[in-house]
Amino acid sequence: MSEDPKKSSIVEDLKVPWYGYVALILAIVFFSGIFAKKAGWVAAFDFNTINGAFGTMKDAAKATFAGQGGYGARAGFLFALGLIPAVMLALGVVEVIDHLGGLKAGQKLLTPILRPLLGIPGIAGLALVTSLQSTDAGAGMTKMLRETDYITEKEKTVFCAFQFSAGGTVTNYLSSGAALFPFLTVPIILPLVVIFVMKIFGANVMRLYLQRFAKED
Amino acid sequence: MQTKTIVDVFVDGARKGWNVGISSILPNVLMAFALIQILKVTGLLTILGKVFGPVMALFGLPGEAVTVLMGAWLSMGGGIGVAASLYTGKILSATHVTILLPAIILMGAQIQYMGRLLGTAGVQTRYYPMLFGISVMNAVIAMLIMRFVA
Repeated sequence: MSEDPKKSSIVEDLKVPWYGYVALILAIVFFSGIFAKKAGWVAAFDFNTINGAFGTMKDAAKATFAGQGGYGARAGFLFALGLIPAVMLALGVVEVIDHLGGLKAGQKLLTPILRPLLGIPGIAGLALVTSLQSTDAGAGMTKMLRETDYITEKEKTVFCAFQFSAGGTVTNYLSSGAALFPFLTVPIILPLVVIFVMKIFGANVMRLYLQRFAKED
Repeated sequence: MQTKTIVDVFVDGARKGWNVGISSILPNVLMAFALIQILKVTGLLTILGKVFGPVMALFGLPGEAVTVLMGAWLSMGGGIGVAASLYTGKILSATHVTILLPAIILMGAQIQYMGRLLGTAGVQTRYYPMLFGISVMNAVIAMLIMRFVA
């Protein structure tokens, strides 16, 4: 059996940075379990410690399926799994509202107030409503508005200041944010209102800054 | 165009929710729970709590809450996960979580959105520091507002 020349050249060309060996040693330590019974900071190098534990049904009246007293990756997994129904329900409803023209209605109501609110023309309404659903789609539409000269460079910057803080607001609030809804001490609409107020406030700070310090584009 | 029933539309949306949940929320939350576990066993969480205690107290929060904001800056899901982990670990109360939620969203995922939003829309880079600053300021003010309503 002759050795495959290709194979041997791969082995010779294999360059490993020094931290590659450190990483390998750390990985072996992490999965070996040698620090399994240790307390203190070295416990962070034990797979099982970081993997954690599922909670248990200590108190059937209070415990959800995730149980109580879980920790680490396992607790996080069950916790996240518990969020998914809320996200599916929320995005399902948003999709239906969009289908029924609810978002178009929002755009129509928004168009006449965009100039006083953010100093941008009403034509940006669709991009604004879109940006609340998807950061990427909003960014793409904003670029288009600028390229077709519907908005000026300053208006674009102000508009991006609005979008940049709490990007994809509605989708992110109803998906990621939904994880925290069960713990809120206020109705879930209230934090969302605060988010919107601050988004508009922040964009207007940018608007003032540009008015004062930026030369016309 | 094909006509879809409302049920089909809902199911499409719910499927999007499943995909977001499985490919984005679950890995981020799991990462956050593992990270907090590392911070806990190393004792770093206690140290962070002490160092940032005075600053976070302004917002009615314990010092450990700073990890929520740090996590949020990288990804919203990360920040949410850290908050959830600290809540289940009884370090944050329901009131603390309520104060933090708008801030997590307002200053969330800025590193990602720098490319995905500012880059895509072609915002001039000289305005980047101002835009980052505005988002952090928005989060700070939101925490002060939430402190009084939570």
